[in-house]
Amino acid sequence: MMRRIWVVFRKEVIDNLRDRRSQTSNILYALFGPLMMLAMIYLLGNLFNRDETQNPLVIPLQGGEHAPMLVRFLEQNNATIVRAPADPRAAVKNGDVELVLVIPKEYGEEFSEGRPARVQLVADPSRTSTMDTIERVENLLSAYQSQTAAMRLMARGISPALTRVLVVEQVDVSTEASRGLQFLNTLPYFLILSIFVGGSAVIIDATAGERERRSLEPLLINPVPRWEFVIAKMLASIPFVLAVLIITLAAMAVIFNVVPVEKMIGFRLGIDTASLIKIFILCLPMVLLASALQMIITTFARTYKEAQTYVQWLPLVPALPGIGLTFLTVKPELWIMLIPTFGQQVLINQFLRGEPVAAANVIVSSLVTLAVAGVLVAVAIRLYNRENILFRKDA
Amino acid sequence: MIQVDALHKTFGRVRALNGVTFEAPDGRITGLLGPNGAGKTTCLRVLYSLLQPDQGSARIDGLDLRTQGLAAQRRIGALPDAHGLYPRLTSRENIRYFGELQGMSGSALENRIDFLLNLLDMQDIADRRTEGFSTGQVLKVAIARALVHNPHNILLDEPTNGLDVMTTRAMREVIRQLRDMGRCVLFSSHIMQEVSALCDHIVVIARGQVVASGTPEDIKAMTGKDNLEDAFVAVIGTEEGLLR
Repeated sequence: MMRRIWVVFRKEVIDNLRDRRSQTSNILYALFGPLMMLAMIYLLGNLFNRDETQNPLVIPLQGGEHAPMLVRFLEQNNATIVRAPADPRAAVKNGDVELVLVIPKEYGEEFSEGRPARVQLVADPSRTSTMDTIERVENLLSAYQSQTAAMRLMARGISPALTRVLVVEQVDVSTEASRGLQFLNTLPYFLILSIFVGGSAVIIDATAGERERRSLEPLLINPVPRWEFVIAKMLASIPFVLAVLIITLAAMAVIFNVVPVEKMIGFRLGIDTASLIKIFILCLPMVLLASALQMIITTFARTYKEAQTYVQWLPLVPALPGIGLTFLTVKPELWIMLIPTFGQQVLINQFLRGEPVAAANVIVSSLVTLAVAGVLVAVAIRLYNRENILFRKDA
Repeated sequence: MIQVDALHKTFGRVRALNGVTFEAPDGRITGLLGPNGAGKTTCLRVLYSLLQPDQGSARIDGLDLRTQGLAAQRRIGALPDAHGLYPRLTSRENIRYFGELQGMSGSALENRIDFLLNLLDMQDIADRRTEGFSTGQVLKVAIARALVHNPHNILLDEPTNGLDVMTTRAMREVIRQLRDMGRCVLFSSHIMQEVSALCDHIVVIARGQVVASGTPEDIKAMTGKDNLEDAFVAVIGTEEGLLR
C-alpha cells in the first residue's frame, strides 16, 4: 500500500516538476504578495511621513493687496506666496496649481468693521494628492483666525480662554509595531492565496488532466484501490504548496529584515524568523484543506481548463474574512477558531503583532481544520469510487 | 480465460448490455465484433472492473469480478478505448509507471521493459518524451504498458483504429505471438475485415446481445451465406456501422 502510494506520488511530482510553465508561474505568484506589500509600504510611507518643513508650502494668491496682514502671517509661517494664474478655477481644474487663495476686494472693509471676512480657497479635493496641501493652508488660515480673534477679545478686555470650551488631548496608545500593522493586515491574505494557488496546477493535472488526455481509464485499470490514488495525488501537491509558502515567507523575511523599511515609514516592522516559522506551522493544516477541496472540485471537471475555472474561485472564499480583518478589529475568540482559515488568519495577525497567542486557540483551530480536511478527503474518495468518475460524458 | 455470463448494464434509459454471454479461452484470439454502440466497450469495461454489471457475472481465470476485482486486474493487460500517455514522461517512464503500479520493480521490471521495446520495435522512441507522438507511436507505448506485467489475459479495444497499414500488420503479428504463447486474447472491433483476418473465434454483438458466435465458417454455415460480409449483415440485421 505505502509502496503504491509512493509510486503514484513520485510520478506526479516528477511529471509536474517538468511542467516548467506552471512552476515558474507559481514562483512568480509566491513573490507577488511580498512585492506588492513592499510597494504599498513604500507608497504609503511616502504619503504618511511627508515632512512639512522640508516640503515648502506654495500658495498662489489673488488679491493679496487687500489683506497685507494675512499675507505677512502666511509668510511668517514659511509659506511662499506666488502670483495666482489669471483664471484660478480653470488652473486648479487642469491641475496646473494645487489650489488658489482668493481674497476679494471687500475683505479690507469687512475685516476692519469686525464682520466675518470672506476668503475663497479654490481647490479640487477629489485629487487625493492635493489633500495634504489643502489641509495645510486651512490650518494656517484657522490659526490666523484664532490669533486675530484672541487679539480682538483682549482689546475688549475679555479673556480669550473664555471662548475655548474644550481642549482635546489625544493619548496615543498605538505602538510602533501596531502602527505598522496597516501594512501587515494583507499578509495573512497573501499566505492563504499562496496555499490555494501553490498546488492547484498539480491537483488539476492529476485529476482533470488525466481525464483530458484520456489516461485516467488505463490508470484505473491497474490493481490499485481508488483511495490510494486519491491520497497519493493529494500528497503530490503538498511539496509544491510548501515551496510556494516558504518562498512567500522568505520574501517577507527579506523585506522586513534587509530592506530599510524603517527609513520609508519611520519605524521598524519587527517580524523575526521565529514568528515566521510559527506562522508556517500554523499554515500546514490549511495546506491539507486546500488540497482536499481542490481534489473534490476538480472531480467535476472534464478538462484542465474547466477545472482551472472552478479552482481559481476557491481562494476567494477564505480570503473574504481576511479582507474583513483589514477593516474590523476581531478578537481571537473561540468561535472564530472553529472556522477553518479564518481562525488562522486571526492568529497569524496576532503573531505579527507580537501579541501572546493562546495555545488553546492554535490547537482548536488546527484540529478543526484537520478534521474538516479529513471529511473532505473522505468525500473525495467516495467520489472516486463512483463509476461515473470515468465516464461523465456517457452517463 | 474470460467467462462472461448474462451481463446486464443500463445507463439511465440506455440499455447497453442485455444479457451478453460468451467465453474466451486461453491460446485463442477471440474477436468481439459489432457495430458502433453495440455494447463492446461497455462489456470490456466490466471486464476491466471499471463498471459493475447490474446483473450477471464475469470471471477472469476463475476470479469473480464482483468480489475479486483487484486480483482479476492483476491478471489482465488492457488497451482501453482511451489510452492517453503522460506527455512529459518518456516512453520508458510511461511503461515503468504502470509496471510499478502492478507491483514490479528492479531489474525484473527493467528487463521486461527492454523486452517489450524490442518486441514492438520501438527502441528509437524509448527515451523520448511522448509529447507529439504519432498515433502509431502512442499505441505502441500503450500496448507495452498494458503488457508490462506479462498478463495472462489481454483485452484490446479497437487496437488498430487510425493506424497505417505497416503498423497494423505489426500489431497483428504481436497479437498472434501472444496467442502462440498461450495467452487469452480478447479483441474488439467494428471492422469485419480486421476481425476475420485475425480471430480464431468470433462473437458478434448487436444491441447489447450476442447474436452469433463461432468460427468464420460456423457463422457462414449458420446464415447460409457463402460470403462473410453477407453473413454478418444477416446476423446483425443491418449494415449500419459495420463497414468502414
